[in-house]
Amino acid sequence: MRRRPVLALLTLLLALAIVGVVPVVAQDKPRSGGELIFVVPSEPPSYDAHQEETFGLIHPTAPHYNTLLRVDPNDRTGTKPVGDLAESWTISKDALTYTFKIRKGVKFHDGSEMTSKDIKASYDKILKPPPGVKSLRKEAYEAIASIDAPDPTTFVVKLKYPESSMLLNLASPWNWIYKADLLAKDPHYYETHIMGTGPFKFVEHVKGSHWVGKKNPDYWDKGKPYLDGYRAIFISNSAAQVAAIRGERAMIQFRSFSPPERDQLVQALGNKITVQESPWDCLNFVSMHHEKKPFDDKRVRRALSLALDRYEGSKALSKITLVKDVGGIQVPGTPFATPPAELEKLAGYGRDIAKNRAEAKRLLKEAGVPDGFAFTFKNRGIPHPYEPLGIWLIDQWRQIGLNVKQEFIEASAYHPMLKRGDFEVAMDFQCGFIVEPDLDLPRFLSTSDANYGRHKDKALDDMMHQQGRATDPEQRKKILRQFEKRLLDEEAHVIYTLQWHRIVPHLAKVHGWTITPSHYLNNQLDTVWLSE
Amino acid sequence: MAISSPPIDQVGALPAQDGWLAITHQFCRRRPLGAIGAAVIVVMFVVAVAAPLIAPYDPVVNDFGGMLAAPSRAHWLGTDAFGRDVLSRLIFGSRTALLVGFGSSVLGATLGAVLGVASAYFGGRVDLYLQRLMDIFLSFPLIILALALVAILGNSIPNLIVAIMIPMVPRAALVIRASALAIREMPYVDAARAAGFRHGRIILRHMLPNVMAPYLIMLTAFLGQAVLLESSLSFLGLGVQEPMAAWGLMLRGAAVEFAETAPWMAVFPGLAISLSVFAFNLFGDSLRDALDPRLRTQ
Amino acid sequence: MTKYLVKRFLLMLPTLLGVALVTFVLIRVIPGDVVELRYSGDRGAVSQDLLDKERARIGLDKPMWQQFATWLWGVVRLDFGTSMWTGAPIWEEIKLRFALSLQVAIMATIVAVILAIPLGVLAALKQDTWVDYSVRIFSIAGLAMPSFWLGIVLILLMLVVFKWLPPMVYTPFWVSPWQNLAQLIWPALAVGYRYSAVATRMTRSAMLEVLREDYIRTARAKGLMQKLILSRHALKNAMLPVMTVVAIEFAFLIGGLVVTEQVFNLNGIGLLFVQAVAHRDYTLLQALVMLVAGLFIVVNFLMDAAYAWIDPRIRYR
Repeated sequence: MRRRPVLALLTLLLALAIVGVVPVVAQDKPRSGGELIFVVPSEPPSYDAHQEETFGLIHPTAPHYNTLLRVDPNDRTGTKPVGDLAESWTISKDALTYTFKIRKGVKFHDGSEMTSKDIKASYDKILKPPPGVKSLRKEAYEAIASIDAPDPTTFVVKLKYPESSMLLNLASPWNWIYKADLLAKDPHYYETHIMGTGPFKFVEHVKGSHWVGKKNPDYWDKGKPYLDGYRAIFISNSAAQVAAIRGERAMIQFRSFSPPERDQLVQALGNKITVQESPWDCLNFVSMHHEKKPFDDKRVRRALSLALDRYEGSKALSKITLVKDVGGIQVPGTPFATPPAELEKLAGYGRDIAKNRAEAKRLLKEAGVPDGFAFTFKNRGIPHPYEPLGIWLIDQWRQIGLNVKQEFIEASAYHPMLKRGDFEVAMDFQCGFIVEPDLDLPRFLSTSDANYGRHKDKALDDMMHQQGRATDPEQRKKILRQFEKRLLDEEAHVIYTLQWHRIVPHLAKVHGWTITPSHYLNNQLDTVWLSE
Repeated sequence: MAISSPPIDQVGALPAQDGWLAITHQFCRRRPLGAIGAAVIVVMFVVAVAAPLIAPYDPVVNDFGGMLAAPSRAHWLGTDAFGRDVLSRLIFGSRTALLVGFGSSVLGATLGAVLGVASAYFGGRVDLYLQRLMDIFLSFPLIILALALVAILGNSIPNLIVAIMIPMVPRAALVIRASALAIREMPYVDAARAAGFRHGRIILRHMLPNVMAPYLIMLTAFLGQAVLLESSLSFLGLGVQEPMAAWGLMLRGAAVEFAETAPWMAVFPGLAISLSVFAFNLFGDSLRDALDPRLRTQ
Repeated sequence: MTKYLVKRFLLMLPTLLGVALVTFVLIRVIPGDVVELRYSGDRGAVSQDLLDKERARIGLDKPMWQQFATWLWGVVRLDFGTSMWTGAPIWEEIKLRFALSLQVAIMATIVAVILAIPLGVLAALKQDTWVDYSVRIFSIAGLAMPSFWLGIVLILLMLVVFKWLPPMVYTPFWVSPWQNLAQLIWPALAVGYRYSAVATRMTRSAMLEVLREDYIRTARAKGLMQKLILSRHALKNAMLPVMTVVAIEFAFLIGGLVVTEQVFNLNGIGLLFVQAVAHRDYTLLQALVMLVAGLFIVVNFLMDAAYAWIDPRIRYR
């Protein structure tokens, strides 16, 4: 009998320990009130998320809308789909039919009721845009055979073949739910207007200056949002952004700051600042043109990867720019990522750099590349982390006897250059908005428009299709391991450098926001509250 | 930024050939500021030429072990975010500054002079069209034109020189034209034409010596501007590129972010730019005073 | 007089047209276009078909001369079209930024004039003395420092030493004069100091020239106080070239403050220029260039008129 209280106490202590270790999101009860002021580095071109892909639209505008499903805002890995406008769902046994139960009583900001009709209309716009309207993510939904709204609270999605990533796909932060009547009247309406069901109503947008939203008192999630409103200020210069937070004129910037900027803020504001960090669903890799000598020879490609001391680079570069972890094809820490011990077996990921470099030199010699061989490395003219990575790469390649010249192409002219194939070796990037192999990896298909290195590898294509159809996660993991090995090691089609690292320092009075690997996620601001 | 000058249609010719040493001596005595400017320029030249000999380290090699180190005996001006020696980068950066600075200003002033003289000498239709053309290019702010040109041409050093040179041509042409016009109106030019001298000879023997003064003044004015423009472009990411050493480039990115913890990264390149532009301007200023007869001390 | 003015006015038109043409061609030569840029951001591939449709919608698929003609026809009716990047009318994009740049330009010019005229006169009066030297060093220093460096140092100083930051958002003067000035006085000072250098030099040389005129020597001989001489005779005549310089500099301030605006985080025309070039937003760029160049040309014309009015000889050239 005496043991019970002790057991209870131990359990309580254990529970507290666990809670204490997990990054605390809300220590106290959320407090209502206050205006969140944040900085956004760029401005939205138009207001229609189905047609844009810049965070400059998401950050100020996402709070005005809801989506069918969303990524769990309290989950650091950013990989768990939860319902937004969907209350619950069921998946048929053959994994071909998804039936969503839609919430009742959700109102648009003009007072009208939201039903599955609106969801269907919005998805129709995404899957089959009317003439004159673009949909940027149409291709991601190839697997969908049909969508239906049989009654106001049911939405049904039927697939042509099973796709394990479909739920996450539907949780895309870009798939805002619009009002069917407005779309029917004018499919371009949402390019210049705001009308959603989200936690905040639109107040004003002064071009080049700021964006204001205020609390939606009739929001379907009772008690939320906690904030009275928010104000997004557009500041493009990063030093000015830091100054704004440092001067406590702004509270947070939702994309990322660089390590020295974080250090500056921590030093200046001490415990008035909280820093949240996470690996980023973005990575720079080196593309080599497979149709140009000597990069058509996989020995040369492997050599270029072997030359890189990724671990030393990670230590040093993480102090000055937005990279940190050594990663493979999926963000470290997410369900499908390769554990570090396994990763070390791939070419260029081993710890013995002297051995790797010796091997690299040997491969180059074998492939007939002379010592002091010169080529041009094209890089995008963006300060973080492209430029530091470029400087690092060139110095690493110098150590295996390669004389590399760097040429910066202005960011605007970069894509045309890649598409034309006007390069030998160039910096490429892989950025996603949700960590999901189906969303991160299609560019490596032989047929992909984004396959700038123009590699043709049927085995790789097959593996890609297989993992997409695999319904068993363990099976999927196995196939992805093979895919990674072939992409980075055996054929060395591309050279992964270092995973980007996201650093968000914010004023300590901001609570309720959890960092995820994607700066497109978790921007509805309904969970955010201010402690003073 | 416009180049302005007093209406120098009456600028006299260069002082009579007194012997270079005597002239220099006179210049140093009468115009100490200009002499200081000239001295700095000479030092810059020497440093740039002798860079590989003077610089203690290779300006491009990374050294992550010693990154962001404060000035010390090993590194007099400290190291940057990649462990590269700031002093060595500064020294090699002077090459870029002088190359781009001198290249673009000499080309710009010369081309402008040619167009200005041609415009003044031939007059009539030629003058009208050339003037309109110059007016058009003059209306663009300096940096906007340079920006656009760099976007088109790309940012290798030769392209950078062209991009910076082009906005300078109309400014030089305008001033030189005014000067040449004054000469053109002089009776001896008409007399020479009447006597049957060819165009070329008249231009070379009569007009050119008289526009030397404004030409030199424009040249020195451009020097400072060119260095500033190059550093502005590099700062914006449109100029010289890594891992080359260039002063404006050194002020980009990391230098600003580490301004509090590692100020040496931003302070020294900024000083180098300021000092050289300062020197160019001091020298140019004094040169103008020396060559403009109306400004001579009583 | 009117004939001269009309002639100068008519000469403005081909210049403006030339500017329009040069801009039009120049920006289309730069590789990459707005459609490409908007839809290949972070993730990469978008179908070629979609890109082509977008181009057709904006009008980029038509031949160059036709695009130029359409645009020119719009300009004549004062319709500058819509931005290719946001789809909003051009004037809407520009108006806030123009107000800000205009205000900074005016304030900077005031600062420049306040600095330049007394300093220039002083330097001229005391030519070749240490006063002259210090004035020249002071003014050239303003010219020599890179504006971005100065801006960075200033802001850092304010934050670290005074723990104060200027307002980040632009409030028009009539809404809140205090907020407005608190934000804009710093760039105005930095820019004004820079531009005072040119004006100081101009004032000094113009002043020197005038001081040698005979009538000044006569006035001195008659024993009038120096101050009187200055204020009534010398200064008046020296002002003309100085005015010219100040006016022309002012015109350039509107579009030329690219780096300063970045550093002080001002939402002005310079920043808009850089963004428009980066976005390859042809319509916006063309409108901006016409605005800046137009301003310059008009100021030039006004200066010509002022000169002609003051110095009648010029009219007959």
